[in-house]
Amino acid sequence: MTLSKRTLAFSAGFSIVLAAAWGAGLAADNPAAHQRHEAMETVQESFKPLRAIAVKEAQFDAAVVKKNATTILEKLKEAHGLFPEGSGGGDSRAKPEIWTDRAGFDQAMKDAQAAATAMAAVTEEAAFVPAMKTLGGSCKGCHDKYRLPKQ
Amino acid sequence: MRLPSRKAQAAIAFVLAVAAFVFWLLSRPDPLPASAIPAHTPDLANGEVVYHAGSCFACHKPPEGAAQGSLPSGGSPFKTPIGVFYPQNLTPDAETGLGRWSEADFVNAMTRGLSPAGHHYFPAFPYMAYRSMRTSDLLDLRAYLRGLPAVTSEAPRHGLPLLPLARRGVGVWKRLAFARAPFAPAQDGSDSWKRGAYLVNAPGHCGECHTPKSLLMVEDLGRYMAGGPHPGGEGKVPTLRGLVERKKYKDAGDLVLALQNGEELGYEDLSSGGMAQIQSNLAKLPESDVRAIADYLVSLK
Repeated sequence: MTLSKRTLAFSAGFSIVLAAAWGAGLAADNPAAHQRHEAMETVQESFKPLRAIAVKEAQFDAAVVKKNATTILEKLKEAHGLFPEGSGGGDSRAKPEIWTDRAGFDQAMKDAQAAATAMAAVTEEAAFVPAMKTLGGSCKGCHDKYRLPKQ
Repeated sequence: MRLPSRKAQAAIAFVLAVAAFVFWLLSRPDPLPASAIPAHTPDLANGEVVYHAGSCFACHKPPEGAAQGSLPSGGSPFKTPIGVFYPQNLTPDAETGLGRWSEADFVNAMTRGLSPAGHHYFPAFPYMAYRSMRTSDLLDLRAYLRGLPAVTSEAPRHGLPLLPLARRGVGVWKRLAFARAPFAPAQDGSDSWKRGAYLVNAPGHCGECHTPKSLLMVEDLGRYMAGGPHPGGEGKVPTLRGLVERKKYKDAGDLVLALQNGEELGYEDLSSGGMAQIQSNLAKLPESDVRAIADYLVSLK
């Protein structure tokens, strides 16, 4: 069976429109979940250059550390404000414990922000790995308690 | 409603009695006698390695906020779709822990899923994996646990419907489950790979979550380590096949770093579904053992 170029182009175009509509639908259904996910993705991206320094794939560079730690701090603050009551469920990996143990969750988020602040202030290579472990450990502790596995 | 005739009543009673007898027969415990346990001088350091390789603490931890929180005194809820289990106290307290357990009691619990009184344990306690453990490792683990400070902590009763009947019924399930040979990887890899195969399949019991279960609630070996539903009902457990091919990890060395550091170094996939706690325990293993686990796992295609 051969498909005309026109049919193919039409199908492809139609699929893109459908996918976009689905994505928009998700964002519209649960905008906070969508936005906090974006913020966390940025945190993860900013973590990569730090990780490279920690495993000695890259040289320690205080400017790189400061820039990425600052982005992480900003995005963590942004994400923290994006967990309104009722924004779990569906495709979100947020556990109900975020809302049943709100004080614990808020504290975990504040600890992570404090760790990112400390990381942004690191200027000595010797202080870097301990700061990294504190910051990564705060991500780990919070994810262990308040984040579901991938669906 | 009219009652069945006397004859019919007798027949029904007879059938029920036979069924009960068969159930009793099929669900009888089958413990190892004490004479089957070889003499062994325990190696406490190895016992500690086995303790972390099995992540015993991940399930046998105390409830949140308990004093002496780093000891495996049990009682933290283990939620599953069929009910809530409360893993027991592993510290050597005589009344509520393992203080009075003989070597045979411990080996029977670990490899046959039997309590010292001969009750069946539910397979939420992964004795189907532990049955492949070496007796010397089991005895070392027992010695290590006996050396921990004793904590008095009675685990609550499991939250399961029809608990005593269900417990006895586990005996029938065991007949099916134990009839299948445990997973035996080919023994043609490096020494590190073989060590990894043992750690992953026996004490590590990775397949309990990473291998999906068949309808009979035994591991579906056709889908060995291929991932499946989370036992606590929290989404999915990822596959461990093709970890390098799918670019989850660059190579075995990358996986070693991931198992040793988890999300502290940004390996965020290791921080949900309970894996964060397991990773924290694996991080306490000697590097050669973490390397062995990684060598074995990256070989799963």
